[in-house]
Amino acid sequence: MGFANYTKILADPIFQHSLRNNLLIVAISVFGQIPLGFLLAFMLHRKMVKGGEFYQTMIFLPITISPVVVALLWNQIFSASGLITAIVRRIYDDPRYVMTIFENRNLAILPILFVLLWMHTGTYMIIYLANLQKITPSVLEAAQIDGASESQMLGRIILPSMIGTIATTAILAISGSLKAFDLIFAMTGGGPAHFTEVIALYMYTNTFKYYKYGYGSAVSILIVLLAVGLILILQTISRRIERNYE
Amino acid sequence: MTRNVTIWKILSYLIMITFTLLTILPLIWMFLNALKPHALIVRNPLMPPVSFYVLNFVRSWTQGHLGVYFSNSIFYSMVSTLITVFIAMGSGYALSKFSYRSSRVIYMFYTLGLLITVHSVIVPLFIMETKLGMANTRLGVIIPYIAFGLPFQIFLATTYIKGIPDAMQESAIIDGATFLQVFRKIILPVATPIISTMFIYTFLGNWNEFILVQTLTSDISIRSLPVGINSFAGGMSRDYGLQFAALTIGTVPMVIFYLIFRDKIAQGFAAGATKE
Repeated sequence: MGFANYTKILADPIFQHSLRNNLLIVAISVFGQIPLGFLLAFMLHRKMVKGGEFYQTMIFLPITISPVVVALLWNQIFSASGLITAIVRRIYDDPRYVMTIFENRNLAILPILFVLLWMHTGTYMIIYLANLQKITPSVLEAAQIDGASESQMLGRIILPSMIGTIATTAILAISGSLKAFDLIFAMTGGGPAHFTEVIALYMYTNTFKYYKYGYGSAVSILIVLLAVGLILILQTISRRIERNYE
Repeated sequence: MTRNVTIWKILSYLIMITFTLLTILPLIWMFLNALKPHALIVRNPLMPPVSFYVLNFVRSWTQGHLGVYFSNSIFYSMVSTLITVFIAMGSGYALSKFSYRSSRVIYMFYTLGLLITVHSVIVPLFIMETKLGMANTRLGVIIPYIAFGLPFQIFLATTYIKGIPDAMQESAIIDGATFLQVFRKIILPVATPIISTMFIYTFLGNWNEFILVQTLTSDISIRSLPVGINSFAGGMSRDYGLQFAALTIGTVPMVIFYLIFRDKIAQGFAAGATKE
């Protein structure tokens, strides 16, 4: 007993691959969903498009659809007999083309990353929009009268005043990505051959398929430790950035 | 300066339109394919439907037991949401207005629950429910739903009720009102906006919840819609028409729900990351 489970987990190549996949999911959340969501919120807040309300409604829409539905729908799009295969066949006039991204050990996670981006960018956009509304409009107006460009306002006024919010959402994103479960469970189930495995799924299969309760519990402890570790790193970084602006 | 603004505008339209198309087109494609029989979908997924093949909907509804799942989903979401919001409002009132010495500790204890995720406790929860004989019962689903909903809802309720001026409550109490009367006649009416946000946000979360029902139940008669829709993917049938119909049945009510309550849903999500 003791730490035997932990050493066994860490030595398991499937666990290592799922850890890599999880870190990629963290990366797409922090460096994909958050900047894109912020950019969208900034554009909507500065009224750069007409009918912003409409775009806002559409971009936020995926949040209401059950992850299971989202998973099955995108599966139909990415699968070998799916939409992308059909479109590529039509464009290149090559009837033998087949979408095989899921058969590549390194790339199989890409469709999932894309769907996660699709699902959650709108949420961050909404959060940032709500917080952007708290910036006093007169500050921005004054800057505009002084001849500041949009990029200058973004860099000098809006970003500095949003750092706290961005750090909070980054924490949400990290803890959210480590529990990425429903979507992947329904989309690939970690397959084929564990190519799209993530830690939470690894825990689930070991517990409920192989009945290794102790082993599964050890994995969930590792998830918590990983989340706490990543969040601590993030907090030191954001504190350093905040100090730079003071 | 004008050139700068134009670049931003072009970029904005480009990104907004891309995102919007990425949201709408898959949904439209799903709906169109739901109207095609399996053979036509396999032959050409891009082709629009030639006739309205409604049989997909009928068959996926009956063969997939979607009626049962649908009413279960309504039951779970309604009951657990009502109880969650009720408890959260009561706790929020007590925690923000009674100023017990223990209030802060209890509040901290509740909000600590925000850090506990479903999948980190699903194993012990499953074992516990099996030992208690609660696994595979409706009660065994509703109680975890309430437990996982409460931390965030208590956070929302407490912060909102804190903002209601004490003077309103005090003058009522001087006039001889009890705390329960104050709660019913003053707090609840004033807090209506947050109550509806809480209700809609919790309802949405419970409606889309998947892994608890998947793990804690096994009978068709007590499982919910996401689990039912998921069964179209695997062993049951590989009829794409049925699958697309089931997906459409799962999506349409939620899209309508979203279009009606969008602002409230947005408020719920935004409140989670708003710094006071």
